[in-house]
Amino acid sequence: MSKVFSEEQRDCLQELINVAMGLASDKLARFLNTFVHLQVPAIELVSSAQIPAEFETRYSSTDSALVSQGFLGNDGLRGEAIVLYQLENAHRIAALLGYETDSISELEMLTDISSILTTTFLNGLATQIDNSLSYSAPRVLSSRQGNVAQALLETAYHWELALKVDISYQLIDHSFNCDMLLLIPGEAVVNIQQILTRILEEY
Amino acid sequence: MSDNWLTGPVLEQLNSGVLVVDEQFQLVYLNCFLQRHGSVQLDEVRGQSLFKVFSDVPEAWLRRKFASVLELQSPSFSSWEQRHYVIKLPHMRPMTSSSQYMAQNCTMLPLSDEAGRRYVCLLIEDATDTFVYQQHLQSTLQKLEHSNRIDGLTQCLNRRYWEEQLKLEVQRALRYQQPLSLLLFDLDKFKQLNDQYGHLGGDSVLIELSARVRALLRDTDWFGRYGGEEFGIVLTNTALQGAVEVAERLCLAVSSLAVTFNECSIQSSISIGVAQLTNTGERAHEVLIGQADVALYNAKRNGRNRVVAFSPGETEFLLKTTD
Repeated sequence: MSKVFSEEQRDCLQELINVAMGLASDKLARFLNTFVHLQVPAIELVSSAQIPAEFETRYSSTDSALVSQGFLGNDGLRGEAIVLYQLENAHRIAALLGYETDSISELEMLTDISSILTTTFLNGLATQIDNSLSYSAPRVLSSRQGNVAQALLETAYHWELALKVDISYQLIDHSFNCDMLLLIPGEAVVNIQQILTRILEEY
Repeated sequence: MSDNWLTGPVLEQLNSGVLVVDEQFQLVYLNCFLQRHGSVQLDEVRGQSLFKVFSDVPEAWLRRKFASVLELQSPSFSSWEQRHYVIKLPHMRPMTSSSQYMAQNCTMLPLSDEAGRRYVCLLIEDATDTFVYQQHLQSTLQKLEHSNRIDGLTQCLNRRYWEEQLKLEVQRALRYQQPLSLLLFDLDKFKQLNDQYGHLGGDSVLIELSARVRALLRDTDWFGRYGGEEFGIVLTNTALQGAVEVAERLCLAVSSLAVTFNECSIQSSISIGVAQLTNTGERAHEVLIGQADVALYNAKRNGRNRVVAFSPGETEFLLKTTD
């Protein structure tokens, strides 16, 4: 998979993602009125075939959720963002966002949280490359069914490349961990390479 | 963007609702779709609070949504599957939908004008068609599930589903140490009935006897068609003595009243084998079926139209006679 991006392109992408995460955590901190510490996200390019096995161990033992949201920008930038997290974690952040768990359906809470995490992060990424994104409505692919691996397998099947971003938000008194997968189809990978090349040339 | 001649009419003709509020949730814009569906005029409500004009919107929820859009400058969504509608509106399928109100998929977007003032745009898509299809799909799936379990002729459970339930009930009875009994019964001289009255006559007897038997059972019993004229009943939380009493009642219910078919009066009877669960282990349900079958065989051999309970020792007898 390292062949897909050159060393330089990969570093550039990591840098863009670091900054995007910084922007996202700043926004979240203002929104939630609390400090948000964000670990520098580890990114990794993985082939879609590897994905299910990798997440199976982490998410199969507990109740977990998998939420998908499509994104579409200029210059052929497009893909699908998948947020994976354990439901126990979700309730923590839900409380912080002011949800009363009895008055709102669990699915609605899940899609809201995922959408906030995904769009704040991807908007940050888009701004840096002079792009802007539109999003599809978030959709819960799997929740409480214990078939995360299967759901991922079905989703990931059509994608050439996945950019795996481990995200760990640390809030005061709370910690929240989740994984974000950016699934990118073949032709969009080429488009992203072109965007990265352009950025590298500008420096 | 001075394409007002273009965006204006399109916005007005759009088959989706477009609503814009400022940071104080005061209405700035409503397109034609929303004015018509909501029976309001933009000129009359401009500058008023959204929550006053549409008084039944979920205010706390929408405030939180809009706050996140303004603060994070990123979109927020709402799906009809979780929240049927945000603004209560009639839809355009009043006759063919089971819901009175429009199912809505909503998108909330951040906007700003040239002066940097911030707004939230609420896009409302009519998802009523999707909702209607989903309802059809659900009811079709329910029917499918039903027909997957039920024997078409007698309306009893079919063999596959009945056996699954037997297996589950046997495991449950073993786990909670509750008694469980099984009845296997067979319509006597079914071949003779078919020969004499035709297959439709035979079928009508099967239908009638199933109905009579079902009327005498509890909701917790599992009644299934095991083979052509052979049926099984799982009696939960019932020991052998109670099961024999039930069986006697069933026998009598069938033999006491003839079935009328094509103005013919068909006299019929059933033979019943009864067994109580005693074995444990993975194959306990198979052993139980075997024991009830031995008892049924003995009921037939002893002259039909009767109930025989399995007792240990009969297995050897059966093996001897069949050798």
